[in-house]
Amino acid sequence: MPTVAQPTRKQRRDAARHARVEREAAAAAAAARRRRLTRLGAVLGAAAIVVAVLVAMSASGSGSKAAPRTASSVSGASATSALLAGIPQKGLVLGDAKAPVRVVEFADLQCPFCRDVTLSTMPDIVKRYVRPGDVRMEFRSLAFIGPDSVRAARVTQAAAQQDKLWNFVDLAYRNQGKENSGWATDALLRRLAGAVPGLDADRAFAARNGAAVTGALKAADTLATTSGVQSTPTFLVGRGSSLKAVDAAGLEAAIKAAVKQ
Amino acid sequence: MSDRLRTAAVVCCALGLAIAGYLTYVHYAGISPVCEIAHGCEKVQSSRWSEVAGIPVALLGLVGYAGILAAHFWPGEAGLTAAAGQAVVGAGFSAYLTYREVFTIDAICIWCVASALLLAALAVITVLRLLRADPSAGAPPAPRATARTRATAAAPRAGR
Repeated sequence: MPTVAQPTRKQRRDAARHARVEREAAAAAAAARRRRLTRLGAVLGAAAIVVAVLVAMSASGSGSKAAPRTASSVSGASATSALLAGIPQKGLVLGDAKAPVRVVEFADLQCPFCRDVTLSTMPDIVKRYVRPGDVRMEFRSLAFIGPDSVRAARVTQAAAQQDKLWNFVDLAYRNQGKENSGWATDALLRRLAGAVPGLDADRAFAARNGAAVTGALKAADTLATTSGVQSTPTFLVGRGSSLKAVDAAGLEAAIKAAVKQ
Repeated sequence: MSDRLRTAAVVCCALGLAIAGYLTYVHYAGISPVCEIAHGCEKVQSSRWSEVAGIPVALLGLVGYAGILAAHFWPGEAGLTAAAGQAVVGAGFSAYLTYREVFTIDAICIWCVASALLLAALAVITVLRLLRADPSAGAPPAPRATARTRATAAAPRAGR
């Protein structure tokens, strides 16, 4: 009769040790799994907090910080700001809305002569007549030279919606390129708009192709036609509705005469 | 496998450093980035979302990539954790910025998208490395050496 071999004492001890080692290994593996998941949870939690802080900072404070840097990288930005600082602006108008003398300027932002006149005579006119409240100036964008004119005029008109037209115009003249060379790119116009303190470039770009801007440009065109404007820059100078068309050479004299009336 | 993941992470960091370095240079030089594919880089780079508290996002990216890269040369659990943490933060924030590009700025900066993809890849790689790390890696030096020897003897795959 066959007998079943009973495990020896050593075999029983080995089996027990083996089972213990396996239990310990399983426990160690479970602990390691728990530890890895805990570590991952901690990393993800901390990362979520940091991302939330970055998003909050990005959404709230970055706009105000961005302007000075952009302004400093645009040529003429500080000169433009200094020229117009403290003078009220409303839509197309620069100066006191109750100023007795009205000057309407018709200009194309890529016209080199308009640029020269603006940079040479504007500082004097602003200082002597606009700042003291004798003259209010009105800018009417004409865009007839080419596509650069149209792109620039649209952003100009959009800047008027934020009462920053004159800053944009002055800065655009300071950064004007060669006629119809494609200089007035969206990138440049955006950088210029971004360099005007208080002008929201994103808002201006969102508005530039809107009906309000298109309507205002059409109105300027109509006014130029009815006023007999043949070239840029042309100025209408006078009191009330009695306005006289003059060219750049006659501008200062016409303003002086109107102020003395 | 771990070596391959590490190599992939280092390559992603190097590419990210190149992109962020270029965008940082463009930001401070006041020039337009080369943007032949989507033509939205200038718009994105000049938008209000291009800075956080006055610091250019591109510079934050540069620092972030450098940090992730440095963490890959930092031995042990701390390096793995630091790499994963930074990569997940970078991926999360760049996902937010990509959302802003598409829905707020209405322009796509191809460099930014490339960086966002690199950070997403880095987040996956670094988290995988963290999860697959030798659990005993964080133990004190002497017992760790013993445990490693035993683990390697018992299961070759512990040597990843």
